[in-house]
Amino acid sequence: MIALPRPSTLFLAAVTALVAVLLYSPLFVPIVSSFFTISHGDVDWSSPTLSSYQALAGNNDILAALRTTLIVGLCTVVLSVVSGTLLALYYHGGRSGRSILQFIIFLPFLMPPIISGLALLIFFREIGLERSLLTVVIGHTVFVLAIVYRTVLMRLQSMSRTLVEASYDLGATAWQTFWRVILPNLSSAMVGGAILAFALSFDETMITILVTGTQSTLPVRLWAMMRLGFSPDINALVALILMFTVLLCVLAARFLVPQQMAMERS
Amino acid sequence: MNQNTDLLTLRGVSKSYGMVSVLHDVDLSIQDGEFLTVLGPSGSGKTTVLRLIGGLEPLTAGEIRLDGQDISRMPINRRPFNTVFQDYALFPHMTVSGNVGYGLSVRHVQRKEVARRVAEALELVQLGRFADRFPAQLSGGQRQRVALARALICQPRLILLDEPLAALDLELRRQMQEFLKSIQREIKTTFLFVTHDQEEAIGMADRICVMQAGHICQLGTPHELYYKPNCEFVARFFGENNLVAGKLGAVEGEQRPIETALGRLICSVSDQPLLKAAPDGASAFAVFRPEALRVAGSTESDNHFSGTIADLAFAGSSTVATITVGTDNAAQRLRLRVPSRIDGSALKCGETVSLSFAPHEGHLVLA
Repeated sequence: MIALPRPSTLFLAAVTALVAVLLYSPLFVPIVSSFFTISHGDVDWSSPTLSSYQALAGNNDILAALRTTLIVGLCTVVLSVVSGTLLALYYHGGRSGRSILQFIIFLPFLMPPIISGLALLIFFREIGLERSLLTVVIGHTVFVLAIVYRTVLMRLQSMSRTLVEASYDLGATAWQTFWRVILPNLSSAMVGGAILAFALSFDETMITILVTGTQSTLPVRLWAMMRLGFSPDINALVALILMFTVLLCVLAARFLVPQQMAMERS
Repeated sequence: MNQNTDLLTLRGVSKSYGMVSVLHDVDLSIQDGEFLTVLGPSGSGKTTVLRLIGGLEPLTAGEIRLDGQDISRMPINRRPFNTVFQDYALFPHMTVSGNVGYGLSVRHVQRKEVARRVAEALELVQLGRFADRFPAQLSGGQRQRVALARALICQPRLILLDEPLAALDLELRRQMQEFLKSIQREIKTTFLFVTHDQEEAIGMADRICVMQAGHICQLGTPHELYYKPNCEFVARFFGENNLVAGKLGAVEGEQRPIETALGRLICSVSDQPLLKAAPDGASAFAVFRPEALRVAGSTESDNHFSGTIADLAFAGSSTVATITVGTDNAAQRLRLRVPSRIDGSALKCGETVSLSFAPHEGHLVLA
């Protein structure tokens, strides 16, 4: 750590606190207000209540959207982890066309989502695929694949080549080496990538709006609700999602720390 | 130790990566039960030899025979050899016993049998208490011993060790050298040990194979390499040495003179057909060890010259003097090593001394 003279430490602390309050306090307003009644657009601080949570529980539209989001998220995670891992293995194997492949994988993640969404929409219409949850899952997978791919590839590249050589040297077949040495060393990166993929899929809005059929995911539902005006149960929903996201982030950070370091700490 | 049968032979082995050739036409025989060290500076191709034998890389040309059978194309996981890697390559997600037992469990050996042999192997490397630890929880020396146990457990015909001590500090390295040597004596398995450290090589090997730039320079016992190097590279690389350039004179029985800036030096050429056969006037070096030099009072003996002591370094049991011989523009630096108790205290910096070495302690190599 760099040691600073005391006045500048205090100054830094003040700036940090100010930035934290200005930037991040809006995030906490809905959480706090979700526990109070709202009358005429104002929060009534004198009446703590869980009524907005009750309203949320009774809102079938929202619950259906939440279920849809979870289904899409899980399917996306499975698809992107399997294909992202395979692609990373292919790239790491040093086979032909790998830089073009990598470019294509990163493209949808870097392009504006509206372009990716439109491209997919046109593609689905051309091949005659009805818009449905399937098209949403495909759209999300194309989008989040880069994250899983990158996470797994980085782990692969940090893995010593001699681990694989040692496995063969000790008499293992290629299949045994994959299941017993390579995969276990990738697993935590795959879980970390899966959590990030799920978080991305969870709040993906633009592509979803373009390629979804009749069912809405949660962000799309929220967006539709907002045009009609706020209701208190949205505060409750935001609070719940925020807590859930924090949980996911903590988990992801846990899994993305290399195993070696984690073990040394224990 | 049975040193008569060849376990493994390399014949005409070459290896190149694209246009870059790293091994040229190497012939090498490894005897059953010996501790053979491949010694060379980095880039000499010593690790490549090991990787080719282990099957980690395919040959470009030549063949490798095990008990007379060509195994050049045998896949790595079928070869009865195991490797101790430089970075140990322990599986980080497995415990010590998981690592050691890996070679057996991939061959579907029964679980009870695996457990028994793992316990045995860990006992051998004195790590019985650490069976349930993970590699990250072990010290460098302990990891090293796990890697050795993992390589031993499949009872390979040959154990390949790729600079396994390079990452350890000096004290630990000395301990591990003794440890490796004692294990090798105990299990009577052939060891092929690659290193760039000549001290390590001298201390452990039955035979040493010195490599340079993709060639084998010399293969012999540490004693042979030390006293009869066959080329300038080995003479310079292997221990401290004095080399004086000159032109060969006519052979005189088992001796041959060489005309140098220090005068006419007479050196032994017994058992050296190449040096006996070299034409008169060929460029060569007279080679003599610092401890072969005598500080002599008399001027009657052969190989006599005088020099000035430029520097003295006390090194415990011996004292090393750097001596300048000859005039300024043809000055040559020689090293002299004398026992400290007898002669060390008699030498003084700046003093001129007469020096000589016996012809049988002098040696020739072609330039």
